[in-house]
Amino acid sequence: MSSKWPRRLAIIAFVLLLVGVMLQVDWPNHGIDENAPTNEDVSKTLFGEKGDNLSGYGLVMFFIGILLLVALLGGIFLAKEEEK
Amino acid sequence: MITIAYWLVLSSLLFAIGAYGVLTRKNAIVVLMSIEIMLNAANINFVAFSSFHNTLHGVPDPSGQVFALFSIAIAAAEVAVGLAILLVVYRRYQTIDVDKINILRW
Repeated sequence: MSSKWPRRLAIIAFVLLLVGVMLQVDWPNHGIDENAPTNEDVSKTLFGEKGDNLSGYGLVMFFIGILLLVALLGGIFLAKEEEK
Repeated sequence: MITIAYWLVLSSLLFAIGAYGVLTRKNAIVVLMSIEIMLNAANINFVAFSSFHNTLHGVPDPSGQVFALFSIAIAAAEVAVGLAILLVVYRRYQTIDVDKINILRW
């Protein structure tokens, strides 16, 4: 139980460091304004504007799909029962 | 009124909770959950800075929210492979105590 205290103190020091550094910065003192991105803006950034084939992250979506498929296959391969 | 500093403090608290879980817990599933909490802290930072981009720089920029979506997808892949690895480790050693799994070979 006593070995937990150094870790707790390390985490508390880490939190104090992070929060202290963050509160040093002179952040603007107002909330989200009406020009903040909506879901429509997010989708336009993700899939590109209409008529512009080069904008958007379509290729990244494609690779993430492949990554998820590989992770699925890898998970199945790792987790399947071993044959005796 | 909620300024960006609130989100940053929330995100750092979540990150610290996750780091504490990774450092102290012995159960590998709890360690995996703590890693997910740290990933979610990073996602909150992404979305917060994207939402406040217009306030900070005068130009709206939704890229951060798109990147948060990518990060969520990567986290899904990571947790799938991680749970499968834990399953294999449990079959092999009959334990998922991270203090007892100390040889990195089969």
